[in-house]
Amino acid sequence: MDALHHLLAGFAAALSVKYLLFALVGCVLGTLIGVLPGLGPAAGTAILIPLTFSLDATGAIIMLSAIYYGAMYGGTITSVLINVPGEAASVVTCIDGHQMARQGRAGSALGIAAIGSFVGGTLATVALVVVAMPLASLALKFGPAEFFALMVAGLCLVVGLAGNNMMAALLMTVIGLLLALVGVDPVRGAPRFTFGVEELYDGIGFIPVVMGLFGVAELLLAAEKRQTHMVEAELKSWMPTAAECKQSVGAIGRGTVVGFVLGLIPGVGAIVPTFMAYVLEKRVSKTPERFGKGAIEGVASAETANNAYANAAMVPLLALGIPSSPTIAVLMGAFIINGITPGPFLFQEQPALVWTVIASFFVGNVLLLILNLPLVGLWAKLLKIPFSYMCAGVLIFCVIGAYGLKQSLFDVWVMLGFGILGYLLRKLDFPIAPAILALILGPMMEKSLRTTLEISGGSFAIFLDRPVALTLLAVPVIVVGFLLFKPRSLAPLREGDSE
Amino acid sequence: MFIRRRTLLAASAAITVASPAIAQNYPRRAVQLVVAFAPGGSTDIGARILAAAAEKDLGQPITVVNKAGAGGQIGFTEVARAKPDGYTLGFLNLPAVNTIILDPERKAMFNVDSFIPIINQVLDPGLIWVKGDSPYKTLADLIDAARKAPGTLSACTTGILSDDHLAILMVQEAAKVEFRIVHFDSGTQQLAGVLGGHVDVAFDNVGSVFKRVQSGEVRGLAITDSERSKFLPDVPTTKDLGYGTVISSSTRGVGAPKGTPADIVKVIETAFLKAIKSPEMLQKMDAVGLALKPMVGAEYARYYADTQAQAKKYTEWALKQR
Repeated sequence: MDALHHLLAGFAAALSVKYLLFALVGCVLGTLIGVLPGLGPAAGTAILIPLTFSLDATGAIIMLSAIYYGAMYGGTITSVLINVPGEAASVVTCIDGHQMARQGRAGSALGIAAIGSFVGGTLATVALVVVAMPLASLALKFGPAEFFALMVAGLCLVVGLAGNNMMAALLMTVIGLLLALVGVDPVRGAPRFTFGVEELYDGIGFIPVVMGLFGVAELLLAAEKRQTHMVEAELKSWMPTAAECKQSVGAIGRGTVVGFVLGLIPGVGAIVPTFMAYVLEKRVSKTPERFGKGAIEGVASAETANNAYANAAMVPLLALGIPSSPTIAVLMGAFIINGITPGPFLFQEQPALVWTVIASFFVGNVLLLILNLPLVGLWAKLLKIPFSYMCAGVLIFCVIGAYGLKQSLFDVWVMLGFGILGYLLRKLDFPIAPAILALILGPMMEKSLRTTLEISGGSFAIFLDRPVALTLLAVPVIVVGFLLFKPRSLAPLREGDSE
Repeated sequence: MFIRRRTLLAASAAITVASPAIAQNYPRRAVQLVVAFAPGGSTDIGARILAAAAEKDLGQPITVVNKAGAGGQIGFTEVARAKPDGYTLGFLNLPAVNTIILDPERKAMFNVDSFIPIINQVLDPGLIWVKGDSPYKTLADLIDAARKAPGTLSACTTGILSDDHLAILMVQEAAKVEFRIVHFDSGTQQLAGVLGGHVDVAFDNVGSVFKRVQSGEVRGLAITDSERSKFLPDVPTTKDLGYGTVISSSTRGVGAPKGTPADIVKVIETAFLKAIKSPEMLQKMDAVGLALKPMVGAEYARYYADTQAQAKKYTEWALKQR
């Protein structure tokens, strides 16, 4: 097998001391970037590009890729410990991860995240080796119409995040969509709902909103309860127990598949796979009520999907030269500046380079695991700091993060404002996750629908011509039908139902 | 009163003497170059290469800051409102700046006079391309097909009122055809759209896809310029094909907010010109398919005004079609 031969050669190169060192440095820097809120992987990678100018092309790519998925893991740490998502994709981990920390199981949460990330990333890279080119071409068939259908189906997953109060979840979804409208019309460029406030031209700012709704709100709640520590419970363990690992196996498996498949589709972004994996896990679980209260499967599925996505997203980049997300676009820019143009000819022109890079993905995943597992205990110890210091520290951390995004105090005010809002919502027992999902999916849904209609010349009939899109659109129809016609007692109707 | 007049005299003397001194003291810290488009794109890459090269000549670090959004409007607004002290420069994309100003719906907070165009770096000519295995082998094929089915052939751009959009309008005018216009946000989205078979033809620029044209993955039908591109010598120009009025390209250069002192502008111009003329710059830009066309001073100012006039005509036409 030609590919295998190339891959082995790639390993030989990737395991050289020089490249190992680059991968290690990349992983460390990436994790740090992920931990710092506000400094997302895109910005962090962009800042570190000059660092790679003095390296040879292969070394540069290895380091930059390591930074990228290191950052994916780094965001988990703050999500679990202080309920502040280090980067956008870590939002879902906050939901169950922080609850686990509150129960003294921070070690388990971080540990299973590291393990799940490793498994997801490695399996995704294996799949990359085997099916890169054919899958990539197939993924291209996924056009704006299918994308729109996927987004709508994704939004309907909100039902899975609803918990007890469906009305509240739907209300939050609508609020999320309304917030998403603020900014500039994606097609016409005209400002919308900005009320003349210049800072709103770019939209409300996803990161400040999320940091506020999750992080600041958590601080306010804890302060209200006069907690002595961020997390009251004693730290039970530094690692997940064998039982917890066994529990998570299914979650990790499903997370890998979801993350990988979605990573192939350009434009999806890292948050969507994590949400979808989480909701899928909740749906198939026999005890869904544990989700949101510290279910380890919640963390495992989200984190695995996250890393599987990050590695799979390399497929469209390497095979077709099409970046899947803004962060990957930065990565691609870095490649180009270093003289490498990703695309199908890259495999033919410079096979050694490509396969060395792919080999280094494997190496990087292992390095991340080795780096992070032992550190879990160290991170978890941070929770022992008395709450008064922690609270002040986290708040400063968040303010710097929010300000650092665009050097704008406006973002800080947004964060604080949403922090108060988040506090109120939590008191009222309104679920926040649906609003976040809507805030992310809304703009993508709108843009892809309008592009679809531009392609079809304004006719909705285009959906009828496209079976994949039609199938995906059937999901919300089924979901809505189920909601409307759900009989009081499900048991006798469970089999033979229209679902 | 006597004292006040003397103080006033001394103060004005000091300021007059200080002006060149101010320029001599510039730059004393890092300079920001605001790029109005996302990192990793053609504009950003050109800007980063330029910044890295000009740093040495300017004597201070030049940090590239990306402020993408609204087709460049966010970044351009930022530059227009920055302090005119020479420490915030903008990477100006023409005709993006022009069309934003000309579209009343965009409510641009800047106008033609908000910027001092200092030096142009890149002139990236427009390129009309289709999939490698597309049935359209020449521009004539495409135009024929478009005539037979008006308003059905889809053509994509990298943004509404971008140079690509204006190029489509120029072709529609010159060849008397009508396309279905689809707006994407970037060259890579266009790739996904055309290669995936969702859109028939893409109007983009040479820098974004030249490697793919060279490899045969996509087919270049025409370059919307009066001379052929050195990167794609086999692709005919619109002038070659008889559509000499279809001239469209994306130019990118460095500008400063209105009010930046003339001597500081001169320092910037000298440093960047040196960088652009250096052999390493040429080498790096050749590798990424971006053609250098340095323009300074009056020449650039004239180009700026000309682009505004040309953009006006087609923008108004585009707005009428809304």
